[in-house]
Amino acid sequence: MKLSPISVPYRAVQKGGGLLFMLVFFSSTGAAGPGGLVLGLGAIAILAVSIGYELLYYRRFSYELTADTLDLSSGVFNRREREIPYGRIQNVDVSQNIIQRALGIAAVNVETAGGGSTEAVIRYVSAETAETLQTDVRDRKRGRDRREGVIADEPATEPEALFSIEPSELALVGVLSFDPRVPGAILALLTGSVPFVSPILPGDVSGIGLTVLIVVVGVAIIALSWIVGAISAVVNYWGFRLTQTEDELQYERGLVQRYSGTIPFDKVQTVTIEDNPLKRRFGYATLGVETAGYAPGQANGKGSEAAVPLASVDRVHRLAHELEAFGEPEFTRPPKRIRRRYAVRYLLAIGALTAIAFAITRFYTIPFPWYVPVGAAVLTPIAAHYKWLHRGYWLGEDHFVARSGFWNREAKVVPYYRIQTVIDTRTIFQRRWDVGTVVADTAGSLSVLGSDAAALDIDRADVERVREELTDRLQASLEERRRDRKPASGFAWIDTVEDPALPNPVDFDSLTPAITAAGSEDADRSIGSTKADPSPDSTKADRSPDATDSDQPDRPEE
Amino acid sequence: MNALQPRIRILWVGRAIISAGIVGGVGYAAATYTDVPVEWPIAIAGLLLVVGVLHALLRYRNWRYEIREDSLYLERGVLTEVRTAVPLVRIQHVDSRRSALERLVGLASTVVYTAGSRGADVRIPGLTPDDASALRERLKRLAIEADGEDAV
Repeated sequence: MKLSPISVPYRAVQKGGGLLFMLVFFSSTGAAGPGGLVLGLGAIAILAVSIGYELLYYRRFSYELTADTLDLSSGVFNRREREIPYGRIQNVDVSQNIIQRALGIAAVNVETAGGGSTEAVIRYVSAETAETLQTDVRDRKRGRDRREGVIADEPATEPEALFSIEPSELALVGVLSFDPRVPGAILALLTGSVPFVSPILPGDVSGIGLTVLIVVVGVAIIALSWIVGAISAVVNYWGFRLTQTEDELQYERGLVQRYSGTIPFDKVQTVTIEDNPLKRRFGYATLGVETAGYAPGQANGKGSEAAVPLASVDRVHRLAHELEAFGEPEFTRPPKRIRRRYAVRYLLAIGALTAIAFAITRFYTIPFPWYVPVGAAVLTPIAAHYKWLHRGYWLGEDHFVARSGFWNREAKVVPYYRIQTVIDTRTIFQRRWDVGTVVADTAGSLSVLGSDAAALDIDRADVERVREELTDRLQASLEERRRDRKPASGFAWIDTVEDPALPNPVDFDSLTPAITAAGSEDADRSIGSTKADPSPDSTKADRSPDATDSDQPDRPEE
Repeated sequence: MNALQPRIRILWVGRAIISAGIVGGVGYAAATYTDVPVEWPIAIAGLLLVVGVLHALLRYRNWRYEIREDSLYLERGVLTEVRTAVPLVRIQHVDSRRSALERLVGLASTVVYTAGSRGADVRIPGLTPDDASALRERLKRLAIEADGEDAV
């Protein structure tokens, strides 16, 4: 199959556009004369060359859905033939920016595990073709699984609406979003400009006036980053919709650039539930899902992709349990003595801040009350207490759950069979307090940012035990999965019976945590859920025996 | 638990000496062109040398590895003690390699790759070339036996 013909002029303008613009700009300023003529001819030549190239690209590019693989052949100068087995495909993402939407074309990215780069880039096909491509790949993936007898034969279910964001929720997402990059950037600018600003400031400015000025600037910075965060959140999550088919989640979102993609259940590595005091106050939380080697939307430049940006706690817990039936965690906290360590750490940070303020006021002789940050010391016991309160780990039946975060509280759920390596570390400071950290590393990609599922600062005696326990449970769960899969390796009768041997059939009554149990019906209504019968057993049965597809291709050597 | 080859100390101590020497040299050159007393960079380089050498020696002393029933287990670290358990099932591939410096002292290392984001490569330095190859072969065999179809 070919690309959409519209992709030729679009790509040509996209590629040659910048240069063309420059030439047009120069020719319009240089106006008449031989120079302008040369530039004009140059512009035409560039356009002609890029159209020619794109024509060739269009002619060379073809893709085909064969029985087992997605085949691509492309390349004008360097030819490339690529075959991607359906089983290896993690996600098929479709994105459209505003111009592409007007032209009715879309970009399709096909991702497999491993590798940071996209395995197949199809630029561009018509929006309908993109959508059929998405469903075709999914159907073929399933068809292939079915032939192998891995997945019970079931009629392809219609996508089921799980969640769609309402205007009020979208507004809340905006209100609760805060872009921390903005204050960082502004502060970097400001500190760079202090030597230039300070001579301009009137020398006799009073300390109070300066304090007021700094407070005003601070408030302005916070307001600005809040507005930026709100706008980007609203633009990103505009029209957010989550639907579920029997073996994957599909999402759609975006105002200016439209994204849609899939998260296959059997590729899910970890599930994260995140909240902060504001979200908790209003009974909301965020759900994140990590798949192997690729977080949907990461091409966007964002490290993480919230599967659900914001929903009532109850709803988030239901969705999380649909992905991983982990039960109700009872967290083991770090030893209480560790609170003193956190308090000391906060005090040290405040001390450093004060010292910097002091140094600045001395160096530039600004009459700023440098001792102001010391006031924050009053809050350190509270912060230390909450940091301790929020940290904890839980070894569930099939899942390891770790929680942390003083402001942004984050609970990560890792099924034992997804654990890659278990690492325990004890820094020199942790040794002083007789504690250590156990990290359960997974193949997920968010962990690159250092937010692995980790039992932080647990007692030394527990460190050893948790590490051993995690590796043992990994082996046990792999053993179990292998047993379950045995019939699938050869010939097997395909039945739709629910297999009682499968771990953890989802019991929906026990999913909702006690705090929200009373309001569960309200929550359903308020979010507009249409999910009456989630048929949890079939969902689970479809996913659990099928891990063979997720072997990673060899990573390039470093 | 296996220790590393004692010769690895030559490599690590040598590295500490070289980096201290570079810092000292650059500092000395800078000090002679400015009015900073020459003793300063020398003192700093000396301190670096002592700390670096001590660190290298302790690093050697704390390094331990072992192949257990179903995992590869490593212990290492001076300031931060790190213990890693790599389940054999999770091993993607194993390399043995010899850098130019390692060849100088006749050593090699074995590198184990998993699909994990963090322990993506586990490197066991300070092996004799034969040991490194043997370890690679052994890990490979064990990984295959362990049924690596669950690698992710």
